[in-house]
Amino acid sequence: MEVTDVAALSRAREGDPDAFRLLVERHSRVIFRVAYRMTGNEHDADDVVQETFLRAYRQLDAFEERANFSTWLHRIAVNCALDLLRARGRHDKHRAGMTSGEGDEEHEREIASSDPQPDRLLLSAELQQHVAAAMEKLSGNERTAFILRHFEGMPVEEIGQTLGIQVNAAKHTIFRAVRKLREALEPLVRPNPCST
Amino acid sequence: MQHLNEEQLVAHYYHDDDAPATAESHLGECTECRLQYETIRRVLTLVTDAPMPERGEHYADEVWTRLRWKLGARKRRMRWTSFVAAAAVLAIAFFAGQWWNSRGAQAPSPVSEIASTKPVRGQAGAPVLHGNDRVLLVVVSDHLESSERMLAELANANPKETFELSSDRAADLVASNRMYRQTAATRGDQRIESLLSDLEPILAELAHAGKTLSPDELASIQKRIESKQLLFKVRIVSAQTGSGGDKPVPAHSNSL
Repeated sequence: MEVTDVAALSRAREGDPDAFRLLVERHSRVIFRVAYRMTGNEHDADDVVQETFLRAYRQLDAFEERANFSTWLHRIAVNCALDLLRARGRHDKHRAGMTSGEGDEEHEREIASSDPQPDRLLLSAELQQHVAAAMEKLSGNERTAFILRHFEGMPVEEIGQTLGIQVNAAKHTIFRAVRKLREALEPLVRPNPCST
Repeated sequence: MQHLNEEQLVAHYYHDDDAPATAESHLGECTECRLQYETIRRVLTLVTDAPMPERGEHYADEVWTRLRWKLGARKRRMRWTSFVAAAAVLAIAFFAGQWWNSRGAQAPSPVSEIASTKPVRGQAGAPVLHGNDRVLLVVVSDHLESSERMLAELANANPKETFELSSDRAADLVASNRMYRQTAATRGDQRIESLLSDLEPILAELAHAGKTLSPDELASIQKRIESKQLLFKVRIVSAQTGSGGDKPVPAHSNSL
């Protein structure tokens, strides 16, 4: 019979390293995916995975068994990723860029303002750069909420728990993220009028 | 006709809306909303298509290998109780050794008479451990095994990369090392004292190194471990203690 996360966690609390190893085996890939989406860098993502499990191990006693282990682990991973971004100055830099205007509605649209033509953006590498740049313009909460909803398919309720916010606030955070992405990337997906 | 706003369209895309059937019906009838929805869908598809680097099937093993040496924090809370327990074991060992020796002095056996004048040799001509040596080796066994793991980790690390370090773990080892070294000195066990004296500066440096070692720092530590043959020496004594101290010690380990 398969050992549940909570049972493995309970054994890990009692000092059974194999039980914690089981949790690492089950969740490391998912955490890597989230970490990579958050940081945009493989090496950083690997660091976040390590730090996530290290923090989780040190906080095993803080986990409430009625909670969802995966959600709890995601919350730690997200915090680790945000800490890393903050520590390296990227996060603050991007946030400063976003908040230097008159709020979210007014933030600079570097990508959009460059007016890229679709025929210039056929190279996928260039598209990827634009997507990465657009993602980096999201605030920490927006990026987290969007990644968990869009890539991980996490329900809004769990996203709210992960971020420590209400469900409606989580839903609105996802919306803000999508709106910013749309503002930045819409020129790239707009149908070419010449082709019709 | 009431159009769907952007937030409702996003919620519909993720199936988070309260009335999906109504929204779907509206999208079927309203060209303007359908175009808005299509744009959102295209943008999100573009984001979805961003590549994700793959990790090998052994990724979890790799994570665990790097992680397991750092999982000492839960034990750290027990640091002082561990020291008290270790000190108690040492005290018991000391008095047990004294009692054993005094008993041996009252009724000396032929073997102990030989042991008091010259080392007993095993089959390979190596000295065999007795009495106090064995007691001390048993209590430092765990410490040597932990030290061996840390040294092996350092010795095998890639010198071109930054090395992640658990300075807490090193600090624990320094404290234990100091206590065992002093005990060995008190008991006149020069071999163990010498080994622990060689080990202590390296452990102390690691304890104060912070969370990472730069490639240069790592190379320097690796060089010192290599020049003193520290890992080899620790392994010899660790293997000996693991076997209960009854096996002959290789002749070259006398230099420890």
